[in-house]
Amino acid sequence: MSTQFVQAVWGGILFGSVYGLMALGLTLVWGAVRLLNLAHGAIFVVGSYVAFFVVSKLNLPILVALPIGVLAAAAFAYLMHLIFIRPVIGKPGFDNSTLIATVGISIAVSAAAILIFNPEYKVIPPIISGNFTLSDVQITKQGLLVIGTSLALFALVYLFLTYTRRGMAIRAVSQQQEAASLMAIPVVRTYGMVIAISGALAGLAGVLLSPFFFLNPNSGFNPMIQALIVTIFGGLGSVRGALVAGFVLGIFESFVEVYYGVAWAQPGVFLLIILMLIVRPNGLFGIGEVRRL
Amino acid sequence: MSAQAAGAVGVSRPQLDQAAAPWRRPSIWAIGGGLAAGIVLPLLLVRIDIGTYLITLLILFFVQAVVAQSWNLIMGYGGIYSFAQVALFAVGGWTSGVLVHSLGWNPFLAILISPLVAVVAALGIGLPTLRLRGVYVVLLTLAFHELARVFAVTGPRFISGGGYGLVTVQTFQFGDAIGDQRTIYLYYLAGLIFAIATFVIWRVIHSPLGVAMTALRDSETYAVSRGINQFRVRLVLFAISAFFTGLAGGYSTHYNGGISTTIFDFPRIIDLLAMIVIGGWGTFGGPILGAGIVIGLNQYLVALGDYQTLILGLALAGIAVFAPQGLWPLIRRLYENYLAPEPLAPAVEVSPAAPRDTTEEL
Repeated sequence: MSTQFVQAVWGGILFGSVYGLMALGLTLVWGAVRLLNLAHGAIFVVGSYVAFFVVSKLNLPILVALPIGVLAAAAFAYLMHLIFIRPVIGKPGFDNSTLIATVGISIAVSAAAILIFNPEYKVIPPIISGNFTLSDVQITKQGLLVIGTSLALFALVYLFLTYTRRGMAIRAVSQQQEAASLMAIPVVRTYGMVIAISGALAGLAGVLLSPFFFLNPNSGFNPMIQALIVTIFGGLGSVRGALVAGFVLGIFESFVEVYYGVAWAQPGVFLLIILMLIVRPNGLFGIGEVRRL
Repeated sequence: MSAQAAGAVGVSRPQLDQAAAPWRRPSIWAIGGGLAAGIVLPLLLVRIDIGTYLITLLILFFVQAVVAQSWNLIMGYGGIYSFAQVALFAVGGWTSGVLVHSLGWNPFLAILISPLVAVVAALGIGLPTLRLRGVYVVLLTLAFHELARVFAVTGPRFISGGGYGLVTVQTFQFGDAIGDQRTIYLYYLAGLIFAIATFVIWRVIHSPLGVAMTALRDSETYAVSRGINQFRVRLVLFAISAFFTGLAGGYSTHYNGGISTTIFDFPRIIDLLAMIVIGGWGTFGGPILGAGIVIGLNQYLVALGDYQTLILGLALAGIAVFAPQGLWPLIRRLYENYLAPEPLAPAVEVSPAAPRDTTEEL
């Protein structure tokens, strides 16, 4: 196997798994709450900065910082739900209001990150260091950890949604909100739970991914765009779709990057998604929306 | 005989409810007064100390208000969540910048080309995008924004200028006019663009096309089943919106003497979005009012630095959730309650079968 090929596959699997993780959060929120969360990148940043703070200012090991960062991201997402999402649930103009509110939150978070820390690039240490080479390509152990963690989380979320009471409540709410509330499922509380879970996933992605590229107040934007693409590619609201599409797009991007150059990676991905939307408008595993009067 | 018959036909047409008619005309006096004030204002302002500064603020206001109005046309009225507006502005700016910088055109000629190129770019985005809905439009337009940014930074040298944008583009020259005199001419040019854009957007909103797009936003299925071609309406709107955005972009390039790649920064989108949201989403006067407020506030808050962005972001989120109507409907209500010459005709009866109350939009 040539070095280039291994390089492309490794990069693709690594980033694909993280895109999948981000996309999982987006797709859960979209499926259940019908909320396009453009603050997902901001939550990613919140998680990473909290972890950075714990590591660099409190001098605690990264293994302590990881759960704190994840919890902070979840708490932030829940707070966002309480203040900005809950008041408009069920009102006309929910789409407009939440879209703009999440854009506003994301800009406020990056401004706050500049104010509290500074615009300089930050480094979060990897959880496990060290690497080995496979046909001249450096494979970091952190990378293996990231891939393992996201696969495990996918399995966990899948089991949670399929077998637990609360998971079934989430699925019920995303299928038929009114019927779910008639079955005495606390719809608004379920919304809050989904948003917090999605925040935790974004925060985890942030802490795990930050050792690979440096952390700055806007570093959540690109992963969020990638996650949006993955979500749409896989089909909005589909967990399986997020997993498959994450790897497909990650590997596709990585191959374009290795064989055609970095500059073509993003245009290539956008071209792919446009083609996808023409061929299968609802994504790989999406179910068409029922149009209502 | 035939003339009589024609007259009779004319008379027998059903009377339109003037207050409810979306095509009602504004008062001549209001328009004339506004134009006269706009023409006289800079001549008065140059006589006071900070006058030149105020004129430059007004120029900024005109440019931003044109972009905000165009964006509101598709986002507020059309319900298309397009985030490509800043990119279209940049397309206009770069077109005219390259024509002047690399080919040595006259700036006045070049800014006439930039709206056309912006329209072509808009059709390019619109054709794959506008058949889709909501989320997909957000994603694809953000993607276009990102692609345009990457191209502007890493593209060929006559576009990227080495990564910073075009830095030395020839500015507008009005004969030998310099200093205050030149600023006044620049003001008139910006004011002209603003006036034309505002007039056309007013006409579009208060035309069958405008009614069609409001109908599509409020109840897509109902509108489509009444025979409105959704894709065509959206594409035409997108093109109109891009036209004026591109024009504003071209003006701005020759006003600033260059166009920097920093215009793709996210805060620029936020500023424009804040204008629309604060002023009033989907109202005619909203973005104009919002542009005035945001530009005015920015001057006061500029000392706050990054706190400004923080406050703006939170304000945006707060207004979107707690006062989604914005300020314009409030002002309009006050006007109708206290200052309107005569009480408006009773509201149009909306049949209970209508999917939702549409009296407010009319």
